[in-house]
Amino acid sequence: MIKGFMTSLVLLLASMSALASITIGEPAPTFTLQNTKGENVALEDFKGQYVVLEWTNHQCPYVVKHYDSDNMQSLQRKYTEQDVVWLSIISSAPGKQGYVDAQTADSLSESRNAVPSHVLFDPEGSVGKQYDAQTTPHMYIIDPQGMLQYAGGIDSIKSTKQSDIAKATNYVDEAMTALLAGEAVKNTLTPPYGCSIKYKS
Amino acid sequence: MKFYLYTKLLVISLFLLAMSFFSVAQSNGFRISDTGEGPHIQVALMSEQNALVPGRPQLIGVYLQPDPQWHTYWRNPGDSGEAPSIELSSTAKISFGDIQWPIPKAIPVAHLVNYGYEADNLLMIEVFVPQDIVPDGTLTESAEDNLVTINGDLSWLVCKEDCIPGDAQLSITLPIASESRPSAYAALFEDTKSLLPDSYTNPEPADVNAKFEINDTHIVLEVEKSQSLGELNLSKLTLFPFRSDVIKHAAEQRLIESDDAWQFIIPKSPYFNGEAENLAWLLSDGQKGIYFDASINSTLVSNDMSAAYSADRNLDKPSIDAPSLLIYALMAFAGGLILNLMPCVLPVLSIKAISLTRTAPSFFHKSAYFFGVLACFNAFALIIIILQSTGEQIGWGFHMQSPLVVTLLAFLFTFIGLVLLDVIQVGNRMSNIGNSLVSGERASAHFATGVLAVIVASPCTAPFMAAALGIALISEPYVTFILFNALAIGFALPITLLFISSRMSALLPKPGAWMTTFKHVLAFPMFASVAWLAWVYVGQKGAPAQFLLLISLLIFSLFIWLSGHAKGQGARFTFNILALLSIILPISASSLMVNTNEYASTSDSQSVAKNHVDYSEEKLNALKASQQVVFVNMTADWCITCKVNEQVALSSEQVQSLLKEEDVHYVIGDWTNKNQEILRYLKQYKRAGVPLYVVYSGTQNVNVLPQILTPDLVSKAIINAKEELKND
Repeated sequence: MIKGFMTSLVLLLASMSALASITIGEPAPTFTLQNTKGENVALEDFKGQYVVLEWTNHQCPYVVKHYDSDNMQSLQRKYTEQDVVWLSIISSAPGKQGYVDAQTADSLSESRNAVPSHVLFDPEGSVGKQYDAQTTPHMYIIDPQGMLQYAGGIDSIKSTKQSDIAKATNYVDEAMTALLAGEAVKNTLTPPYGCSIKYKS
Repeated sequence: MKFYLYTKLLVISLFLLAMSFFSVAQSNGFRISDTGEGPHIQVALMSEQNALVPGRPQLIGVYLQPDPQWHTYWRNPGDSGEAPSIELSSTAKISFGDIQWPIPKAIPVAHLVNYGYEADNLLMIEVFVPQDIVPDGTLTESAEDNLVTINGDLSWLVCKEDCIPGDAQLSITLPIASESRPSAYAALFEDTKSLLPDSYTNPEPADVNAKFEINDTHIVLEVEKSQSLGELNLSKLTLFPFRSDVIKHAAEQRLIESDDAWQFIIPKSPYFNGEAENLAWLLSDGQKGIYFDASINSTLVSNDMSAAYSADRNLDKPSIDAPSLLIYALMAFAGGLILNLMPCVLPVLSIKAISLTRTAPSFFHKSAYFFGVLACFNAFALIIIILQSTGEQIGWGFHMQSPLVVTLLAFLFTFIGLVLLDVIQVGNRMSNIGNSLVSGERASAHFATGVLAVIVASPCTAPFMAAALGIALISEPYVTFILFNALAIGFALPITLLFISSRMSALLPKPGAWMTTFKHVLAFPMFASVAWLAWVYVGQKGAPAQFLLLISLLIFSLFIWLSGHAKGQGARFTFNILALLSIILPISASSLMVNTNEYASTSDSQSVAKNHVDYSEEKLNALKASQQVVFVNMTADWCITCKVNEQVALSSEQVQSLLKEEDVHYVIGDWTNKNQEILRYLKQYKRAGVPLYVVYSGTQNVNVLPQILTPDLVSKAIINAKEELKND
């Protein structure tokens, strides 16, 4: 009987890891990563707050589009002011495009007027793969209960042209607005677009 | 091949270089190609012909030459990247077609897959120059007067692992002429044509029939075998979706071949929101390719999902707006009118019509028939709504699923037929009943005719009715009532008009001896209806029961005939009673008889396993209670995924030998025709449809298997379940 229970537990765990679990309405995978000050930052630290995850790579033309236009920063400002936690995550492996050290990351934030709550490093790519993050940018919203409420692209027009930003529907803004108003999110899952994340393997 | 490509590249580059000098040297302003570049890529806009000919479609193209190992993208770039965008404009009224994408390659980039071209590729676009392009309608001799410039606003992404976006504004200038010659690039266009999927070169749409199903983890696509598909190399097939959010591009595409179709099993993209009625695909073996559209397996969706959900919660009823409600009401009305002409109804109403007396009774009297019809239809609507609220899934003619109702209708139709044939004379109690039903003159008789007309009409469906009733049955109760009343009004209208309007009834032929003959003739459509009912009955109860029904109908007719010819009051009464008793015979007997059809219908699905039992809640509970391993398979004939699993996993030697073991029980629930018992089971596991696979180790453990099975997965689940029981 106990063995039976164990086997089913093992099977359950196996099936969980096999599905890089991004299920809307289900608990978001927990993680702990280092920020630019070398401190450990865990998702669980932010229970009770909305958390936005932004996968980034400052050399990726799609990321450049949203930073050169101040689109990403204005979202960061808009929501961090409303007590939302914004985590920019870099999953580029050392030596690959987008990988930076802590100092460079901080100076990038400064020069670009970016105001994420933390910039986190995921050089092993394990958190990125846990979330099945594919592109930069790739955006996620986690609610105060730790449930995933949005996963996907930053907006609806797949391009590197800044002029498209105004024409596009910004899914992150749309979802955050709905969530903060206590309404249902219209588009909970959208295809992400951008550069492939430069994982270690 | 590679050498050839590089040589070509060299020749073309040299040529482009030469041309650029040439275009400077050229004084007349022609420019057949224009080049641009970005990091790791050369681009060019070019024309296949050296002039534009009005009225003749021709090609221009954007030539992309990424550096070795760099790539550009197909229309769906895959997991990352971006398709090139080409915006064309012209100084003249020229129309441009869509980009004709050459067959792409799946390019693995780290953990992702992109669809694109790792070599030079020409994206051709059809250009159409209308006949009236020249303002004054004439082509002058000197070409310089008729120059047209085509501007291409180009943007692209060129990638190796990192990506670099680029853009260029290119323009070519061509003369309009009555004749054109192939340009220096014509050979490149010619080569590219051979790299296009079939549908570009073949004007006939590909003869491909495809359907897909979406389950929790996968998309299952079934493509029927056809001639054009037969030319593809099966071992190298890849499916390229047009949409980027449908499948996991990097995942393996499993291909399963059955007698008349191929099934592809592809992991679903986590970003697929499931909203798709149709999906466009390119199927390619690398050399040849075919475009096709696949539609969602509608059996699965319209019946499965919606029926299951509407039974589940009545909240999900579709809302219907006023204009479409009006259209459906009109359709119901027209359906009702036509219903008058159906063979089961026409005789009854014809008799009614010709037996009308030309007296002028009260309005209430005249409209009794109308109210009879209306009352009966509303009763139907009410029954349907009540049954639906209890979770039954029913439709028009739902009562025809009951053998009892079919039996009673068969007797009723036979009886009406006999009355029409004058088998029983006037004065007989039975014949009075019959006559007053169809041709009586009292208001209550008119009302009864109305009710009877609806009852005899109930097995029939007229054109237009099906669509309107389909809506009525899945909508809010008020919609159901509106549509049923529209149908009722249409149905009642012709006879009611005869009642009310003396002008209308004056159109009827004068009564006479012909009426008797006419009446006799009308008996035969009634008997035809009986024959049809008997056929329905054999489907429900099997051949022996049908034989019993026919014999009973014969006995019934005999007694009715005897009653009609009997001299004394007492004899008549006796025969009438005997006739009524003959109705009870098939009803009581049929409940005792086993439905032989049950065996017939299950024998088809038995091909999977000879040792299975059909699902019933009781059987499953009994097996669980006796601590056995039970494998439950909920399937349906129209379900592609189910068939694939049965072929790939369940009929494998490995699984079959396990299922045949003594302590393993294989339970199949066949949802082909839907039923409440299986729906309840599906809901227990929060499913709206099949497939559903569950393994039980007695009452101890429940293991719900994925919707896509492999032999290993099934046998492991069964072996685990057995061990769980042993270790108890």
